[in-house]
Amino acid sequence: MKIWDNLIDDVGKLIPAGVECEIKMINSTESLTRFANSHIHQNVEEELTDIFLTFHADGKTTNLNLNITSMGSIEDIIKKALSEIGNNPKDSTWPGLTSKENSFNGYKDISPDDPDIRAQKVKEFIEEGQTYNGAGYCSSNVSNVFVWNTNGLNSSDTATSAFLDGIFRSETSAGSSHIGNQILSDIDAQKVGQEAFSITKESQNPEDIDPGVYEVILGPDAVSTILVFLSVYGFNAKSKVDGTSPIEINVEQFDEKINLEDDPHKDGALNFKIDASGAPKKKIEIITNGIPKNYFHTRRTSNELNQSNTFHEMFGWGDSFGGLGTNLYLKPGDISKEEMISNVKKGIYINEFWYCRVLDPITQVVTGLNRNGSYLIENGKVTKPVGRLRFTQSFMSSLGQGNVLGVGSDSRFADSEFGEGILNVPMLHLKEFNFTGGVSG
Amino acid sequence: MFNEINKSIDAAISSGAQYADARILISKSRDISSKDGELEDFSNSENMGLGIRALVGSSWGFYATYDLSDESLKEAGKKAYLIAKASSKVPGKDFPLADVPIVKDEYVTPHEQNPFKVSTTDQIDLIVSSTHEMKKIGSSRAFGRLNFWDTEKWFASSQGHEIYQNIIESGGGISSLSIGDGETQIRSYPQSFGEYRTGGWEVIQSFKFLDHVERISEESKRLLTSPQCPEGTRDLILEGSQLALQIHESVGHAIELDRILGWEAAYAGTSHLELSKLNEHKYGSPLMNVVADATLPGALATFKYDDEGTPAQRVDIVKEGIWTGVLTGRDSAAIAGVNPGGMVRADGYGRLPMVRMTNVGLLPGDSSLDEIISSTDDGVYMETNRSWSIDDLRLNFQFGCEVGWLVKNGKITDMVKNPTYTGITPNFWGSMDMLAGEDEWVFWGTPNCGKGQPSQIGHTGHPASPARFKNVRIGVRG
Repeated sequence: MKIWDNLIDDVGKLIPAGVECEIKMINSTESLTRFANSHIHQNVEEELTDIFLTFHADGKTTNLNLNITSMGSIEDIIKKALSEIGNNPKDSTWPGLTSKENSFNGYKDISPDDPDIRAQKVKEFIEEGQTYNGAGYCSSNVSNVFVWNTNGLNSSDTATSAFLDGIFRSETSAGSSHIGNQILSDIDAQKVGQEAFSITKESQNPEDIDPGVYEVILGPDAVSTILVFLSVYGFNAKSKVDGTSPIEINVEQFDEKINLEDDPHKDGALNFKIDASGAPKKKIEIITNGIPKNYFHTRRTSNELNQSNTFHEMFGWGDSFGGLGTNLYLKPGDISKEEMISNVKKGIYINEFWYCRVLDPITQVVTGLNRNGSYLIENGKVTKPVGRLRFTQSFMSSLGQGNVLGVGSDSRFADSEFGEGILNVPMLHLKEFNFTGGVSG
Repeated sequence: MFNEINKSIDAAISSGAQYADARILISKSRDISSKDGELEDFSNSENMGLGIRALVGSSWGFYATYDLSDESLKEAGKKAYLIAKASSKVPGKDFPLADVPIVKDEYVTPHEQNPFKVSTTDQIDLIVSSTHEMKKIGSSRAFGRLNFWDTEKWFASSQGHEIYQNIIESGGGISSLSIGDGETQIRSYPQSFGEYRTGGWEVIQSFKFLDHVERISEESKRLLTSPQCPEGTRDLILEGSQLALQIHESVGHAIELDRILGWEAAYAGTSHLELSKLNEHKYGSPLMNVVADATLPGALATFKYDDEGTPAQRVDIVKEGIWTGVLTGRDSAAIAGVNPGGMVRADGYGRLPMVRMTNVGLLPGDSSLDEIISSTDDGVYMETNRSWSIDDLRLNFQFGCEVGWLVKNGKITDMVKNPTYTGITPNFWGSMDMLAGEDEWVFWGTPNCGKGQPSQIGHTGHPASPARFKNVRIGVRG
């Protein structure tokens, strides 16, 4: 890409000897068509080119984040950064730069999608809702990332993604569905619409039930939220460094049916094959037969914990965040949704969680609510839709030994409390889940 | 700069848009974080670009670009129109925009010291020394952060607005984390995630972090050996920053007109409020008076014009417990038949402006925290938010705080850990029976309000003083 080639050419000539420098660039076009009350009301597209410079000299580090328009003279930027770096204290955990041998060339020149295609997907979704009120979005993104450093590394990658996420609302209910794909035209909007429609229809006139401990079946979006919390607060090695992670490597902490891996090379994976250090990512085991196998490391956390780097530095996030897997797959089981429901004596089906927050990171006790489709299951059959429930439940315990009764056979990219496209998961059948409040508080 | 913006606007209008407005922003930010006496992160950021929105029929089209060349600016205007036009595949009813004064004006946030002109050594030293002191006296982990923003905005519209604003915001905070056997306890100052205001370096100096390091470090350690907050129904006394978040979640979001109209239904949710009940619905007790006031000097959401060019103003939201007002934009106000309140803002040049809380605050009462405690027989006083969750109608909430203090027979007795409380919005606000006065009224700021798709982060203000609520369910645990 010309902007990138020019940038690293200029910087390469201007960096004084003895100064380590790393440059990252995110160049993307993010487009999103949003609908509510069954019509498109907001339709946006942003083209951005953000540049992240890190300088390390005399044991000190400084970071400068700019977009291409605000850069001005690169010579002035380098001079200013190097003059100011002396104000900083020593960087005792500076991890060094990625070596030249890790260079990876994955850049592809891909044009953004036409807004008419997204509008067509929205139309197809809304039509499935018949008289129900539809709301949601259809997005499509093309993202290119680049990393260069004074070790001679020069890496790049391109990722595309598209999502359709929508709900229908009746007078008394709502139902949602979600799908993700690398290619917008491959999104099956009618299928998403049909699923949201049927949940909305079946959820009408919900009844209140008493809070308490229930068996639950969690839809993919609810499962995804549990796993993203464990990823950010537990498997993120920064939380281990800070002393707040509940995750212990090679200790049987989860049910043996839980198998989670991070695989950027899987067909259809939606995120980059390199991390923000410029190194290629590999397929790694996160949980195998219920046993944690790896944290998500950055260069700094792998040094601090004296463990191998897993290359999970995030583009656009600082060192204070840590690392995160972005191509996570929870291994499906062999139980269909119908079989799973037939295995429940008395329990609740939860389609989606909402507004989950951690009460204590080290126990992973989280509170949140259900929404967009919940049903009571009795003696293997769905008997009635249920209203809002508040849960207060340890997410560690929810996937703990003996608490996972079944893993669904179908998986998909799911939405989560912290975003979409990073987790591909099936449904889960859990033995116990603690609901602490109902509609009346 | 207005000449540049108008090239884009003219291109949108000549393409067929019925209205267009655009902003060019130069946004600077600085993030400094420290852990255990070390500098963890030091980043300066700067970006510049244009965002233009065009109204065609019933939909906004929005396009943002970093490329400010003549050709790109014109192309941006055309693209905004074409994106809006693509929406006509799934049209709604055309809507007008509410009338607002067409002004040409300038505004700069009043400040004493621009934080970007203060020595970075002073800034780093302050936050590093704060975490160093906490670590030295026994915090398991000591965290600190400072954030500064300097945003220059040029706004113009096809109706003739030309407004320049320079908004300067500063904030930060410190936290002491104590790690025990299978648990963590945290104490923060001035509030969890820091306290943020409009203004310069003087905002940070006013916090006097070093005067508070010993207290929060000791309290976080003491919490490890304190008993759990008891379960049950008791009187609840909330410290101001926790009450500020309660206002944010259970009032501020509920009164956003875009939510009430269903525009946020799929993501942020809707509201339990129905427009037909405006000026009738009982939101809380007669002590409850809430205003949205974007003119409060020094509060985080203070400006002169919003991102639609509508003047900042003070709007009554709840008067003596009755719901009287909503947060609006020019489009939503016109649809609902209410006045536009100047409450639309965007997160940078690359995002579509949307309804945002300004300084949505609870006006002070005539009591004091001391009086509230001395008149409470059996209650819990909770300080500083630790967790927050509320349903998508903004009714059923549960909050956790960093520390609780039992109040018995008018006196604070024991410290308790993991305090939580839960409730339903109108019942909770209806139970407020004591409210501290102006002396304890603080302009709390929230710099991390998420809303919209694509996601936007908003800066909102919530003036509040401590208050008491009767018969609240507390001590919910998993």
